Amino acid sequence: MILARVVRIAVVVAILALVVTLALAFRRDPHDIKTGTIGKPAPAFTLQRLDGSGEVSLADLSGKVVVINFFASWCLPCTQENPALVRVYERYRGSDVVLLGVNIQESRENGLAYVRRMGMGWASLSDDDGRVVLSYGVFVPPETFFIGPDGVIAGRHIGPIDEDTLVTAIETLRARAVR
Amino acid sequence: MNGRVLIAIAALALAAALVFAARPHEVTADERIDQITTELRCPVCQSLSVKDSTSETAKQMRDLVAQRVRDGRTNAEIEAEFRAAYGDWILLSPPVASWSGLVWLVPIAALVAGLVLVTGRLRGTDPMRPAQPSATEVAALRDRVAREEAAEG
Repeated sequence: MILARVVRIAVVVAILALVVTLALAFRRDPHDIKTGTIGKPAPAFTLQRLDGSGEVSLADLSGKVVVINFFASWCLPCTQENPALVRVYERYRGSDVVLLGVNIQESRENGLAYVRRMGMGWASLSDDDGRVVLSYGVFVPPETFFIGPDGVIAGRHIGPIDEDTLVTAIETLRARAVR
Repeated sequence: MNGRVLIAIAALALAAALVFAARPHEVTADERIDQITTELRCPVCQSLSVKDSTSETAKQMRDLVAQRVRDGRTNAEIEAEFRAAYGDWILLSPPVASWSGLVWLVPIAALVAGLVLVTGRLRGTDPMRPAQPSATEVAALRDRVAREEAAEG
C-alpha cells in the first residue's frame, strides 16, 4: 500500500521534473549558450594578422571592451552577418571597443582574400593550429565572444549575429565599466 | 597424440596468452592519446569521438592532446582543459561526480524498482496491489453495513 503510493509519487515527480526541464530548455535562446568559458577570464592569446603585418595580443587590450568574432570564408552564415559587423566596426572605430576577427580552419590565403572581399577593416587574425578555437570552446563559425574591460568573458553568441545584439552587448559592457 | 593432450595444450596456450595480455606494462604516449581522444566528443560531429572523426577540428584536438601528453600532463588534467572550454558535454561519458552524472543512477534505480516488484510478486504479495483487509476490519465493516441497513428500515 505504502509502496504503491511511493511509486505513484515518484512517477508524478519524474513527470514534473521532465516538464520543468523541457520548459527551461525551450525558454533559453539557443544562440546564447552558457558553456564553461562564460564568466571566466578570457584565455590569453597572441595571433598573427592574416596580412602578415604583425601580431595582436589579447593582453594588450586590457581595459577595453573586446569583441572576438570567429569566422571562415567557407561559412555562409559568416557572410550573412558580415554587414552588421562592418556597421558596428564603423560605429565604434577609434573608441574603447575593439573588434577582432579570428579566421579558423582554412589557409591564410583564403582567409585574407575573404577579408578583403568583404571589406573587413578590423584586425583579422589567423588561428592556424586551432588552439584559440579550442581554448574558447568554439563549435563552428560564426561565434562571437564579448569580453569586458576586466578581461572576463561576459557573453557568447553562436550563429550569425545582428547589429542590435552586438550593440546591446557592447553597450552593456561599456555601462558596466563606467559604474 | 590423443585428444586430451591436444585440449590440454590448447588450454595452456590460451592461459599463457591471457597472462601475456594482462601483464602489467607501461602505457605508451600513443596509447594515452588514444585513450583520451576516445573519451572526447568531436564538437562538429554527430556522436563521434575525436579519435574516430576525420574533421579538421578533431585533428586539431588530437594534436593538442598529443602536445599535452608530451608536456607531461595527466589524462585528468587534459580532460579538465577541454571541460573548462566546452563543459561536461565534451566527454562522451558524463563524469560520475557531476549533475549530468546523475544519468548513471537511472539504470540502478530501475533495477532496484524491478527487483522490488519481482520479489513482491514471487512472495505472493504484490507491492502494487492494495493489502487485503484484516478479519477485524471485515467484521467492523459488516457490522457498519448491518447498522446502516437497519437504520434505513
